[in-house]
Amino acid sequence: MKTRVDIIDNRTGEPVAAELFDEVTVEHFIEAQQEWRPIVLKAARQLASRGSRDLVPQHFHWDWTVKAPELGVLANTFYGIRYDKKLQGLMKLETVGEFCRCRLPEQADRSLVYVDYVEVAPWNLKTLMVALGEKPLYSPIGSRLIEAAVLKSKEEDCKGRIGLHSLPITEQFYRQACRMTPVGRDSAKQNLLWLEYTPEQAENFLTGVRP
Amino acid sequence: MADKRTMTLNLTDQEMRLLEDLSARKDVSKTALLRQALRLYQMVEARLSRGEKLFFEDEEKKKAELMVV
Repeated sequence: MKTRVDIIDNRTGEPVAAELFDEVTVEHFIEAQQEWRPIVLKAARQLASRGSRDLVPQHFHWDWTVKAPELGVLANTFYGIRYDKKLQGLMKLETVGEFCRCRLPEQADRSLVYVDYVEVAPWNLKTLMVALGEKPLYSPIGSRLIEAAVLKSKEEDCKGRIGLHSLPITEQFYRQACRMTPVGRDSAKQNLLWLEYTPEQAENFLTGVRP
Repeated sequence: MADKRTMTLNLTDQEMRLLEDLSARKDVSKTALLRQALRLYQMVEARLSRGEKLFFEDEEKKKAELMVV
């Protein structure tokens, strides 16, 4: 699957057509590791040396290449966004597994699509770029990936229900930009905050309705 | 979305009731539930074939190994 998604080039403020795809290969993982990780690590060191430890990206140690064995497993779906010949974001979804159960009381135990990993290229990461005194290059990459997760949930008959564990630094994004419902901290997953969409919230997110 | 192929599935009454109960509880269609089951089976098989073990853990952190044939 390849489809066009609009993103904003923040240098001009104009929309540009990027490509969302699900034929993710190990080459994309290697690209993320080679192109993104050195920038994230350099930024992490810069911020730590300035004493801005709370702004250090909490995913600086992620390594997409270790996920290569998961590529052929049907329970997993990977998405990428490409623009200007560069990978702008990557996401891993799970359609079955221990985290594919709703926790919100109103939809407890129903099936959902679990967003296991989302990462945007460091030059698009708002918290990181602002901390370094720059503007993110393209946006909203994270939102476009969450839209893809909601559409995958609908395709899997989960009606838009998705769930995820958020790193502390991205909680605000999922609560405020995505308007997901925070359900609680998960002691089984480093005490990360679990957030979830109901079908109505997912639809509002897709259509841009702000209730 | 990947192309899909159609097949006929013969189930006993008990199996059909189970399928209907589970699809109602999970709020997905019977087809979606069977596709989930197939993916789960593949995932479990892949990990077992790598020599990993499958456990369930209760609230007291007691583990019970699940035998898969």
